[in-house]
Amino acid sequence: MSDTVYQSPPPARRISRVPGWVRRLPAYFLVWMWTAFTLAAIAYVLLSAVKSKREVLRSGWNLPQEFIWSNFATAWNVGRLGDYFLNSVMVVGGSVFAILLVSTPAAYVLARAKFPGREAVTNLFVLGMGIPIPMLFIPIFGILSYLRMTDSLTGLSLVFIAISIPVTIYLLTGFFASLPSELESAAVLEGCNDFQVFWHVMLPMAMPGVLTALILNLIWLWNEYQLSLVILNSPDNRTLPLGLYSLQNAMQYTGDWPGMFAGVTIVIIPTIIAYALLSEKMIAGMTMGAVK
Amino acid sequence: MIRKRLIVLFLAPASLIYGGLFLVPTLSTFYFSLFSWSGFGEQMTFIGLDNYTRLFNDTVFWLSLRNTLAILFVGGFFVFGLAFLYTVLLTSGIWGKKFFRLVFFLPNVVSVVALAGMWAYIYNPRSGLLNTTLSAVGLTDVAKTLWTSPDNIFWAMLAALVWVFTGFFLILLMAGVDKIPTDAYEAADLEGASLWQKFWFITVPMLWDVMAISFVIWMINAIKMFEFPYAFGFLQVPQQLYTLGIYLYIMGFGQRDPIYQLGYATAIGVVMLVITFVLIVVVRRLLRREQLEF
Repeated sequence: MSDTVYQSPPPARRISRVPGWVRRLPAYFLVWMWTAFTLAAIAYVLLSAVKSKREVLRSGWNLPQEFIWSNFATAWNVGRLGDYFLNSVMVVGGSVFAILLVSTPAAYVLARAKFPGREAVTNLFVLGMGIPIPMLFIPIFGILSYLRMTDSLTGLSLVFIAISIPVTIYLLTGFFASLPSELESAAVLEGCNDFQVFWHVMLPMAMPGVLTALILNLIWLWNEYQLSLVILNSPDNRTLPLGLYSLQNAMQYTGDWPGMFAGVTIVIIPTIIAYALLSEKMIAGMTMGAVK
Repeated sequence: MIRKRLIVLFLAPASLIYGGLFLVPTLSTFYFSLFSWSGFGEQMTFIGLDNYTRLFNDTVFWLSLRNTLAILFVGGFFVFGLAFLYTVLLTSGIWGKKFFRLVFFLPNVVSVVALAGMWAYIYNPRSGLLNTTLSAVGLTDVAKTLWTSPDNIFWAMLAALVWVFTGFFLILLMAGVDKIPTDAYEAADLEGASLWQKFWFITVPMLWDVMAISFVIWMINAIKMFEFPYAFGFLQVPQQLYTLGIYLYIMGFGQRDPIYQLGYATAIGVVMLVITFVLIVVVRRLLRREQLEF
């Protein structure tokens, strides 16, 4: 302990007399500029969705004289958004389940087993994250037409599974590798075989990671649009992004901006609600692989 | 001890699907690019490297390449400039950090198609958000700009793209900042360091690894860019918006009129892959340095 009596006073801080919140005003200003723009853009979409075709062209930020709620019905019916919503639920739900079903065991083995060539196999899987998806358009279409699965939701699901494997295995391998090994050894001493160790010990511990991978794949595949565009052709098979795309084209062609925005609103509202509820998980998932 | 049988059993399904529908297609692209091939089920004719020499003389290909590189470098400059700026601002102790982060990241969870529709309307010359707001604040001359005219459309698209991706890299960088021990900043505060000094002497060195991985992720995304510019172009994507990915798609499947030059299209795919891997190697070389322990 030093004697404090003779200590010189701490050096005065340059800007200490200005309160913290005043010093942060420029920060607040810049942050709010961005935030206000984003919120305004979304608000403008919502506002335009309830205007009439004529009013949307001239009333700007003004509230509509009459709220045209029927725009939503028009978009829903003309765009067949209900059908496409179901298609998306089936494709994305089935794919995400299958992705986790095949990727979790593979990641477990790659992270915890010892065998020659383990690193090479892991790298081969991870390599997929660097392959530009458009490169796959033609060969994938070729393979699917050989399997008679073009323009089919099953074919699209298979492709979704394949393209999601690299990032999913990358995330889960990292997660499995970070788990402690004490419980594993204890379970082996208790007489568990290797499958039981995985099923009863390691998998439950890895559940937060699996859940994160699930959410990540859900968002990504729910919005996936390029491979769907290549693979799907008939209007019956469209997924929601494709349906919205053709609805937008149709509405823009006829100059029905409110109809288009009603469609956009119907598609983005569920996503925004899910995001508001799950944002922490989603953001954690996005950063899990990149920031260790 | 994990037995061999379980290893094989656990790896087989993923390997089969990934190999068959991802790796083999990727490798086959190299092979297809050596052929003239006018449609699925049509005869393929071996033409050696002719597709590549044709690419070299194809002005639309060069335009697509230029656009792709403009996204990568010009877009990247703004994406990372803004992501860094807002990382510093949002971690400077302002109130409501989580809410702001939520808003910044929002475009990354919403359908690209919906975003493209929204931006098309923001840029709408007469009734769009941009020109309406500009004339409302008195900038009537600027408000007459046709943002989506052939001269402007690429940059208009790029601005929207920057808006989307800034939020993505912002959360990566912010997560990296959260891992930096707070005593480093506290010590700097005691010394009276400015925000800029704290950024330059603490944040940047400590964030090096996150930055390196962010650059790689951006490069991969920029070179394969397809969805946003394509949706932004609506029915008939104008050539000003072509990226390598879009040109590949147009050559392979066409827009209103089918084109079906499959061999030629796959050659574009090979170029994309080569650029991606060369850039990844270069960036990793440039950013390699001793691991920082903290």
